[in-house]
Formats: sequence, structure tokens, C-alpha cells
Amino acid sequence: MAISSAPVKMDIQHLTALYGSNRAVQDVSIAVPEKEVTAIIGPSGCGKSTLIRCLNRLHETAPRTRVEGVVLLDGEDIYSIDPTWVRRRVGMVFQKPNPFATMSIFNNVSAPLRFNGRPSREELDQAVLRALKGAALWEEVRDRLDSPATSLSGGQQQRLCIARALAANPEVLLMDEPCSALDPIATARIEDLIAQLKQDYTVIIVTHNMQQAARVSDNTAFLYLGKLVEYGPTEELFERPKEKLTESYITGRFG
Amino acid sequence: MNEAPPAEPGGRRGYDLQIRHLKDRGVQLGQFAFAMFRDGWRAFDQGDLAAAQSVLDRGDELDRLDEDMEHATIAFMVLRQPTAVDLRTAAALLKITTHCDRIGRLGFDMARITSAGPGNEPSDLRALLQRMDEVVESMVRQSLDALDRDQVELAQSLFKRDDLVDQMHRQANRMIIANLESTPSLAPRLANDLLVARHFERIADNACKVGEKTIYALTGQRRSEYLPRHPTRPYVLETPRPEPSETSGPVGRSRSSGPRAP
Repeated sequence: MAISSAPVKMDIQHLTALYGSNRAVQDVSIAVPEKEVTAIIGPSGCGKSTLIRCLNRLHETAPRTRVEGVVLLDGEDIYSIDPTWVRRRVGMVFQKPNPFATMSIFNNVSAPLRFNGRPSREELDQAVLRALKGAALWEEVRDRLDSPATSLSGGQQQRLCIARALAANPEVLLMDEPCSALDPIATARIEDLIAQLKQDYTVIIVTHNMQQAARVSDNTAFLYLGKLVEYGPTEELFERPKEKLTESYITGRFG
Repeated sequence: MNEAPPAEPGGRRGYDLQIRHLKDRGVQLGQFAFAMFRDGWRAFDQGDLAAAQSVLDRGDELDRLDEDMEHATIAFMVLRQPTAVDLRTAAALLKITTHCDRIGRLGFDMARITSAGPGNEPSDLRALLQRMDEVVESMVRQSLDALDRDQVELAQSLFKRDDLVDQMHRQANRMIIANLESTPSLAPRLANDLLVARHFERIADNACKVGEKTIYALTGQRRSEYLPRHPTRPYVLETPRPEPSETSGPVGRSRSSGPRAP
């Protein structure tokens, strides 16, 4: 389902994700526009996180899992190519900040580059600078790059994780409830950052917070019991949803 | 209407009650404005200065109700962050409040030009103005009823009658001009009649706007999606030809921004 005039970056076609015989995501099709923010909302257990974990092939790393359907990245099926390559192009930020606890700020951000090759010190410096600036963290840490990542506040740690994801120079950034462990000030900074990130990246964000989805996203998909109920421009979906189920959910009259 | 709203329970039930309460306040404001319009017209028509004064005395209360309603609606939006039908209802109520306020203000303006004793305009003109009042009063009542009872069809039926009011307005203008030419001594009254006919036309437009916003709140549909706008032509007042015919008259459409039937 295409909803934007922007080119489709990631085309999810009839995607089904299984844990054993349990279908956590069922026949979901979403065309994700390039350099826009697409939010995925829905109640707990509706398959939001499972869905985005299928978009960088993380789902298949859990035991007894299976994926059916197609996910095209710039027209190329991500399930027909090397998963490492997919994860380099499709970065991910998780619910809780998960910096490498034993590493410095600099080493956290440069880790993906060092895992993927043997860059020179100058290349690392440039990449870390770019990633930290991209994650709006540079000004706060420029004087203490060698400090442990764990010395940062929760909000800073989450931006550090975003910087780490950006360091690999991805095209798509998946964010799985990136603000759920943060206070309102740190949340606001991440939301501001998301608005900046979409100038260079395609962002897909899972959130429980509907106001956040309304604030940060261009498009919103509503999932219920693993199925896509409605997908459309965010403004449209929150102002006049087409489906009664969507309206019940976003107005809190569910069940 | 002045007392504080009743305490509402928290949670989902409190939220639903708050929306209902907001809507009730919108309807109450509309009824207050409607009474100002109705009483303002009657005072003008019958030349009742005491009745006119009672309408003028309600101006401050109308302002207060308008302000209170706006405050309550904005507070609801800020504190409850509504979406979908609830968001549309709150947004519609903000606009409806303004339209109701204008209806009351136009009644206020009718009261302000009231002079003692019955008017001396020709009886056919007076009868036409009375007929306009009947149609416009029923439109305002109907618009508030549609808002109160969530009636989309009732709101939709307003638009046809707005066209009727526009026709009557043009007819009144022609009659007033003809009488100004034939009986200049009636000019002071006829000038006020011209204003009153215009006020009726504006009140009908505001009633339609209340209907439009009610439809938007209930369905999400905006006016342009169900009622295409007519091209607007300049408003030309011409000296009437003998026995003017409504359907063949050369007078252009009103410049009014109100809704029009296709």
C-alpha cells in the first residue's frame, strides 16, 4: 500500500512472521517511503516489534522462527542476500539504551566500523564525529570521548546508541520504542533528532505512545493481533481514521 | 449556565462525560445566542424598546459564555489530547462557538436599531421579513438539534434552506430599493430593514456553518467533499424592473461565504 509521493524505500509484501506455529505477524503489506518517518502503533503483543525485527532479519536469529513473504529494500529482497549486509544497511535502536558497557564513548560509536573492517584512525575519527553530530550528541561529549559510555545519562546513552547505528552509515533506521525508558526531556531530544534524521535516513519507529507517533511520523500503521488494520498519512489516521477499530484504539475506547 | 461543571469521574468514563459536557455547553451557548436573535428580531419588528434593551443587556453574558466555552475546549484538548472523532468534536466546537456567538451578535445588532412602535414599511415587505425570520429561526434550532443529537442528515438538510434564505434576501433588497425610490420618506425604516434582511442572511449562513462543523465532527467529511462551492459573482443591486421575478431577476448571488447547495 503506497501512501506517499516519495519513492518506496522498503516494500513489505504479505509478510508473515512465526514463532513455532504462532503467527505473530500475519500477511502485512506496507510500502515505507524513503526519507520519511513511519510509525507502527498497536496494543502490546500485536506484533509491532516482531514486524520491525523482520526488516533487518533479526527475527530469524531467535529459535523456531520463520518468515514468509517478501521485504524489498530498494527493490532487492533482503531475504535473498547476506544478513550482515542487510543489517549494515538497516540499523536498529532498541527500547533500552544498550551501549557496550566496558567501552568508551568513542569505542562504542566506532565499534561497527571496527567489526566490519580495519579502518584507519583518521577514518574512525571522521566517522565518530559524523555519527555523534548526526545523533545530536557531539557537543555534549566532545571533551570526554574516552569516558565510559555508562557515565552518560539515559537519554545520552540512547543517543549514543543512535550514533552507533549511524556510524555504519545505514539507509534505514529501525527504532523499537526508543523513548520508553526516557524522561520527557530526553524524549523531546530524541524526537527532535528523529525529525533531523529523516533528512538523510528512512526511519521506522515502533511506539506505544500515540502522541509521539502523531508528533514524529509522516505515516502510521496500526497493527492489531498481528494484522495490519490501517496504514495512512499520520495526520489522516489520527484525525479521521477509516477503520472503526483504529478509531476505537486511538480514542482509547478499545475492548 | 454559570455554575461550575459537575465533578467528573476520572479515566475513560470521565473522558466521555467531559466530551458530552463540552457538547452540552456548546448547545447551551447556541440556545442563548438563538434567544438573542429571536428576541432581537421581535423587538425590532414590534418596536418594543424594553425587549430590545433586554437583548442588549445580554451582550456581556454572550461574551462570557463564548470565552468559557473556548477555555473549556482548549483545556480538554491540552489535558486529554483527543484523537479521531474526539479531536474533530473539540475542533468543531471551537468553530461552532464562534458561529453561535455571531448569531447572538446579529440579534444584538437588530435590537440596537429598534425604534419605538411598529415599523411603517409596506406590509408585503414586513411579511417577507417575518417569513425570513421563520425560516432562519427554524434553521438555527435545527442546527443546534443536529449538534445535540448527532444528526448528520438533519445538518445536511440546512443547506437547501440557506438557498431559500438567499433568495428571500435578494427579494427583500429589491423591494426595499423599489420602496426607497417610490416613497423616500420611508428611508430611515427601509435602511434598517435592509440591515435586518442582511442579518437574517448571515444568521442562516452561521446556522449552516454549525451544521457543517457537526457533520465534520461526526463523519470527518469537510464541506468541499460533499457540497461543491458555486462560483461567486459580484453582488449587484440593480433597480428592479416592474414585477420582478425571483427566477429571472438580474441580481447576482450574494458574496456570502456560507454553504450552498449544488
